[in-house]
Amino acid sequence: MGTTLQEDNGLTKFFKWLWNGLERTMFLGLKFTFPSRFVSPMGFLGMLTFITFIILGITGALLMFYYEPILDRAWDSVERINDVIPYGFHMRNIHYHASNAMVFLALAHMYYQYFSGRYKIRNEVLWVTGVILGTVTILEAFTGYDILYNERAELAISIAASLTNSIPVLGPDIRETVFGAGFADFVLRFYALHVFILPIVMLGLMAVHFPRFLVFDVPMVMAISGAIFVTGGVFPVELGFKFEPASPPGVTVPEWYLTGLYAYLRSQYDKFVTGVLWPGLFIGSLALIPFIDRYKKFSWKDRPLVTAIGITSLAQIIVTTYWGFYIDPDISKSLTERLVIDPILLYVVMLLLVPLSFGFTYMLIKLARHAEMMNKMEAAKRKASGETRKSISLPENWTWILIVVLLIFQVYLNLSAYYAATAGFRNVELFLVGLVLVTFAGIFHIYRYANQQAKIPKPASPKPPAATKEVVVKPVMQPAAAAEVAQKPVPQTRVVNPSASLPGSTGPATGSMDSQTMADSRHLKK
Amino acid sequence: MTQQPSEKGKVSRRDFLKLLAAAGTVMSFTPFIDWGKFMPNPIGGNLQRAPVILPDGSQANAKTFPVNSSQAIRYPETGDRVLDEEPFRRWQFIRLPPEYGGDKQDSSAFRAYSMVCLHLWCLWKYWPEEGRKRGECPCHGSMYDPRTGKAFAGPASLQSPPSNVLPRLDLEADQNGNLFIVPPLFSANANGIVGYGRLVKGLNV
Repeated sequence: MGTTLQEDNGLTKFFKWLWNGLERTMFLGLKFTFPSRFVSPMGFLGMLTFITFIILGITGALLMFYYEPILDRAWDSVERINDVIPYGFHMRNIHYHASNAMVFLALAHMYYQYFSGRYKIRNEVLWVTGVILGTVTILEAFTGYDILYNERAELAISIAASLTNSIPVLGPDIRETVFGAGFADFVLRFYALHVFILPIVMLGLMAVHFPRFLVFDVPMVMAISGAIFVTGGVFPVELGFKFEPASPPGVTVPEWYLTGLYAYLRSQYDKFVTGVLWPGLFIGSLALIPFIDRYKKFSWKDRPLVTAIGITSLAQIIVTTYWGFYIDPDISKSLTERLVIDPILLYVVMLLLVPLSFGFTYMLIKLARHAEMMNKMEAAKRKASGETRKSISLPENWTWILIVVLLIFQVYLNLSAYYAATAGFRNVELFLVGLVLVTFAGIFHIYRYANQQAKIPKPASPKPPAATKEVVVKPVMQPAAAAEVAQKPVPQTRVVNPSASLPGSTGPATGSMDSQTMADSRHLKK
Repeated sequence: MTQQPSEKGKVSRRDFLKLLAAAGTVMSFTPFIDWGKFMPNPIGGNLQRAPVILPDGSQANAKTFPVNSSQAIRYPETGDRVLDEEPFRRWQFIRLPPEYGGDKQDSSAFRAYSMVCLHLWCLWKYWPEEGRKRGECPCHGSMYDPRTGKAFAGPASLQSPPSNVLPRLDLEADQNGNLFIVPPLFSANANGIVGYGRLVKGLNV
């Protein structure tokens, strides 16, 4: 409606009091940034990982109401959640796909930080806690799919317990202490680890790991949540077969984030070396990389050796992940033949990937340098001919057409979601809700983009902002104007945070949330 | 007396007292080590002579149990529905094929091995088909000799002793041919440890 609140009523007074009180909490120590325009999500992959953690926390807490961590009831209770409990199917699917998304986002986050060299400049502590946090994330996901107690889970539980058992000298004692005596204990303890101990450890690590500047891009968060829902709808997670001790399971493979490790285990070599030592070495060397990397520069192009090592690790992860999944489909061969990966072949391939990746990195850097040079030459040419740099941007009327189409699509999707819900389509419904979220993200993004385009004075654009190159939020506009842009798409904010629309106010005590964060975003410039 | 700077190889009185205090502090926490017993939850239970109860509820009999076949049995049984589902209490009860002496009418025709594979603790089972006649693990293809319980192929066979021979239960038959489990001793040198293995002279190598 656009009206500003001129005088305080009881409610606004209360919110202001609350807002001022927050000064004493840690929240204002963190600099939250709600970017008013598109920022490359690469920079805030960590934040997105945290968002999926929140989604997992909520759905997981709800699943706890029905799940029973008892050896002979675990699978049945999951089946009940899946088939009987209203929306249990949805909860389970969201929880499962969010867990995959979290592992994937955490890995992507790590590799982005790795290649962009952000673990330097006194960020070593963040990096090391991040590596530990990533490991715990995988353990958390691992314990999660174990407590289903289907055939695949049994395979995973037994591998975890027997690998612990294989640690020299202390192994059996550690196994008994951590996992208990038998499978009845394993299920219960994996549950305790999954729902309480590991999340608490993760929260503790997060408290250390959080950087001071956080980017919270609403459309991106919406898009990620939507993507999780969509995958939940398109690929509903299987229940698997209940594990029956009397009838041993068929051939199963673990989840994708562990098949790399599984490929090594399948090479028949000593299980302690392949199952504990290799992953331990991998994680250890990852944690130590900021102390080994002595390059003065940050860009991956300027750190050829470190980049090459990173590319090698990626190549090896991709190859082993696929290899761990692959089981010879020829049933006429014996199981051993189908399952066992020739260790010589495996290790030779792993070694071969090293020079290949180094060569690939060399080529990449050459190409990137070349492209950089060409760009510079072209810019110089343009400067000589007096042209200003052109940027590709969507014509204004097209922006409006797109946004109207998206809005209509959103209305249609909302209606279909409603009908799907009443008709009881489970997958379709989840899929549609996901689409609704993604479309909302799209609308939000185009709206703010259009708004921003409209605000830019035509001649006065001395330097077009390099949007995606660095994840630095450079306010192009005056903070107050920017705040308004950020405000418009979410009218609810006005209700929740009435002080936000007070113009020209400064400081955290009286200022609006968005102008404050926009002002803060200038700190991001290093 | 003024304090002497410590010479090489000698501990000064102050350092000695500091060490003493540190040791005392550590020692005062030692009673808590025993509290670690809270965690392991060992499988206790009294290990008694017990009949071999087949999944259909009947007792296995040397005269009626088919040659070259197997069943999954439980030992030790607790009566607790959940604990009895425990894979660690699962044993593969095998009557050997005729060429291995399976047509004898006494307990020597029978074997009972822990079903927990020594490699990564999946559950293996006996396959009586011609050309197989061996225990096979579905996970990584370890194979076990039904006569001895020794892994002869696959990853379990490559493990060092005792982790290449399956734990076993000793069996005995009464006059009617009814089969019983002799009270076992779960140690590596006797009946073996489930999930870990069994030491047998001349077999482990």
